[in-house]
Amino acid sequence: MGGIYWLASYPKSGNTWFRSFLHNLVTDADTPAFIDDLRTGQIASSRSWLDEVLGFDSAELDADEVDRLRPAVYRWSLRDAQIGYHKIHDAYTHTVDGEPLVSREATRGAIYIVRNPLDVAPSAANHWQLDLDATIARMGRHDMALATSRSRLLEQVRQRLLSWSAHVLSWVDAPGLPCVVLRYEDMLDQPLDSFTRAAGFLELPQDRSRIEKAIRFSDFKLLSQQEADKGFRERPPRAARFFRLGTSGAWRQALGPAQIQRIIADHGAVMRRFGYLDSDGRPI
Amino acid sequence: MHYTAYQLSIRSDIALPELLSDGADQVATADVDIRLAKVAAGGLADGQQLGPFLWADRQSLWLQVPRVARFLVQGGHTILIDPEPGIDEDSLRVFLLGSALGALLFQRGHLVLHGNAVRIGGQCMVCVGPSGAGKSTLATGLMQRGHDILADDVVPVNAACHALPGFPRIKLWQDMAERLHIDTARLCRIRPGSEKFSLPVARPAGLSALPIRWIYILGSDQGDSVRLEPVDGLQRFRPLHDNTYRVRFLEGMALKAEHLQLCGRLAGRIRLARVTRPKGRFDLDALIDPLLADMAAHP
Repeated sequence: MGGIYWLASYPKSGNTWFRSFLHNLVTDADTPAFIDDLRTGQIASSRSWLDEVLGFDSAELDADEVDRLRPAVYRWSLRDAQIGYHKIHDAYTHTVDGEPLVSREATRGAIYIVRNPLDVAPSAANHWQLDLDATIARMGRHDMALATSRSRLLEQVRQRLLSWSAHVLSWVDAPGLPCVVLRYEDMLDQPLDSFTRAAGFLELPQDRSRIEKAIRFSDFKLLSQQEADKGFRERPPRAARFFRLGTSGAWRQALGPAQIQRIIADHGAVMRRFGYLDSDGRPI
Repeated sequence: MHYTAYQLSIRSDIALPELLSDGADQVATADVDIRLAKVAAGGLADGQQLGPFLWADRQSLWLQVPRVARFLVQGGHTILIDPEPGIDEDSLRVFLLGSALGALLFQRGHLVLHGNAVRIGGQCMVCVGPSGAGKSTLATGLMQRGHDILADDVVPVNAACHALPGFPRIKLWQDMAERLHIDTARLCRIRPGSEKFSLPVARPAGLSALPIRWIYILGSDQGDSVRLEPVDGLQRFRPLHDNTYRVRFLEGMALKAEHLQLCGRLAGRIRLARVTRPKGRFDLDALIDPLLADMAAHP
């Protein structure tokens, strides 16, 4: 057994929401899980995970050296008794040795959560504490990466994001990778269908009452209320909230015409493919 | 070349400038022998594989750092290093003085904590916590207030629950050095190209093993101020175990029973508290002041 299903997404695309669903589905408890107690595996970039399996400090290596070792760490999960469900924000990239970063052997498959980049931008701007234009520029940068500081120790290792479009395509078009794409918007509008499909792919229970309960227990309003009451460990220090709106279409209020045009210019092809633009190139 | 660290005499084929030289060129017997030698690829024949690059049996730990070296740590007295062609000695020493020496200290029956030990009066404080929590910054801050650093990163604890003095240096990241007003221009980099530096620290002559009185588990969260929460009774055992240096090493070396016993003994005699600082900003005085006050209140 063992092996890994990746819960992959660009940041601020619904990954934590999905993990909350997953945790509630697996535990099948009578009350909703608290957001700080989600036990759905690790994040692929967790330094403590890497160090523990490697037996030496990844902090003594540079980011490229670490990347070369990451496939071996994930491959080690094949010895686990259980399947692992781990979050990942890295794009699907290859090491300098030409090996997929996530290890092809270790990877059973991936759920890829995609969200309209027009809605990702305001959410990411809040998360990264950048203005919208800077955020939109970041989403267009092909060399974009997270946790890049070399002058201090971070709890996560560097993650190559690439541009928003390249991130999406890296996962959904990865050759030979079993991958189910979940649109954030479908998770909102057709939750039962979306989450049932995901659960089936992930080899998890699919009975209707259990799925419905897990959807209810991971409802955005509930997650947001939990954060308001008790805070959330994953909130960035300078951002007021992690869970903001949890809606689709808020970009209509948040973005100006030039910002909308810039995102469409950068990401139009991928937006069209996932139903975020109509045939005339207008946002839906 | 001969050195002392962790109250051991050490003979080494490679120079270890971080360690205190014991002055002698020839010593009849050393406690620890560090040799450049062939280490077989592929792990230990009769051992247990603990990770993709890690094997252990009752006497030995085999560790490969790809593109750096293979290490074989044996019986608590020998470390063999088989360097990859062309690798620099700095890179060898980083892993030698970390994982390899840590494994050797386990083999000698010590409880090895992942943290920093600092002398406070006649006793010792140990700060543990995840990588990136700020342990070294805290230790350096305490040093700047006149307290001696006993050990950095690897803290061996003997059967009497005393922390053994390591070697007189602390590893310092560029960001942290700036915060502490330490100029890194003259410091050696830990590895070529690394933004992490080796800061030599003053070490009073004859610094001996010191009884551990306080252990603080350092962490950070979204709170606005530093919080200090004591951990009492049976709750103390788990965090000590969790903050052991490379817990995985214990499995293969059949040291678990001994280790658990030592954790229990230590848990019974220390003040243990979680110290949580605001994430994203690091006000060192706001961290050190309450810690020193807590230690003064629990002498």
